[in-house]
Amino acid sequence: MTMRASVVDTIIKALKTAGVTIACYLPDSLFKELYPALDHDNEIRTIRVTNEGEGAAICGGVWLSGKRAVLVMENSGLRASIEPLARMGMGAGIPVVMLMSYRGDLGENNWWAIPHGMTMEPLLQAMRIPYRLVDREEDIAQAVHDAFTWAHTAYYHSAIVLSGSIVR
Amino acid sequence: MMTRYDCMTVLAGKLKDELVILSLGASVDEWYNAAPHMRNGSLFQQQLGCVTPEAFGLAVGLPHRRIVALDTDGGMLFNLGILATLANERPQNLLVVVWDNECYQSIGGPPTHTASGIVDLAAIARGAGIERAYAVHDLDEFNHRCDDALATQALTVIVAKVDKQVRRDIKRKHSDGREDKYIFVRHVEATEGVVIMGPSEHN
Repeated sequence: MTMRASVVDTIIKALKTAGVTIACYLPDSLFKELYPALDHDNEIRTIRVTNEGEGAAICGGVWLSGKRAVLVMENSGLRASIEPLARMGMGAGIPVVMLMSYRGDLGENNWWAIPHGMTMEPLLQAMRIPYRLVDREEDIAQAVHDAFTWAHTAYYHSAIVLSGSIVR
Repeated sequence: MMTRYDCMTVLAGKLKDELVILSLGASVDEWYNAAPHMRNGSLFQQQLGCVTPEAFGLAVGLPHRRIVALDTDGGMLFNLGILATLANERPQNLLVVVWDNECYQSIGGPPTHTASGIVDLAAIARGAGIERAYAVHDLDEFNHRCDDALATQALTVIVAKVDKQVRRDIKRKHSDGREDKYIFVRHVEATEGVVIMGPSEHN
């Protein structure tokens, strides 16, 4: 189970096209190949965090500087970041763009990942966070572009969820 | 014991072009009064556990500019992991001040973990790997540590052990976090020459 090199390249290219220069992440297994590629990219600074809520807050701070950041994580990280996302987004209007892997999607064969799939979409909907499920490599670039455009128009969070053959 | 307000007055006198992100509670009105010249350059936010991470993100985005986080014992204890992140990332332009009054003052004063006298936030920060992390107990020491931090290109964490009392005879800030964000972002735009919240495609 590995992420194809072409997918890694497509994601990084899309992030750069969207103006991203900083990526905060807590590593997960489905994006395993993406993290070192981000680390080695000279145009993107990576910041490893201790939990996704901290990463969301750092991304919010980056937005306040006029730079663009992305929070990369497994979808379980959404649960860890709800509190800062609610306060920053609903309270102040400070947006965070999230790129998450879809753990617990149909086809999941790990028992521990089932809750991630069960909670992800209800939580995104409860938070009124628009999101796009992407399972084809050719749709990644447009999804990243649209997520950043929406977040920087709404001053609210948006999310891209990568699933299917992209991550498996 | 020194008061938070007296510390703020000392720190405010040293700031001009810096950007400040601060925590919730009574410290908001105190900073609003102690540092009126920093009003536009201060982001008054309400997120427990988010103040120092947000300030760090701002410091990453504006590496040429000094960023000051005014956090609290309750806020720092909410996410101690940020100290480990800061220790690894070593932002040279970030000063973190933690107002440690050993209580959740804004909800009436129940104790935080530092009230036991056992938990030491400065020692935790040093243990995480932030060498320049100091607990300060009097105003002279606070003054000296702030001078040193602002004159040095290195991450500094100052844990200010302050009295529980709140300054009451001061003006209230009338804006909410959303208005404050607009004020702050427009200030960053003006002073950095950047566009953060630009026009829509059509008006």
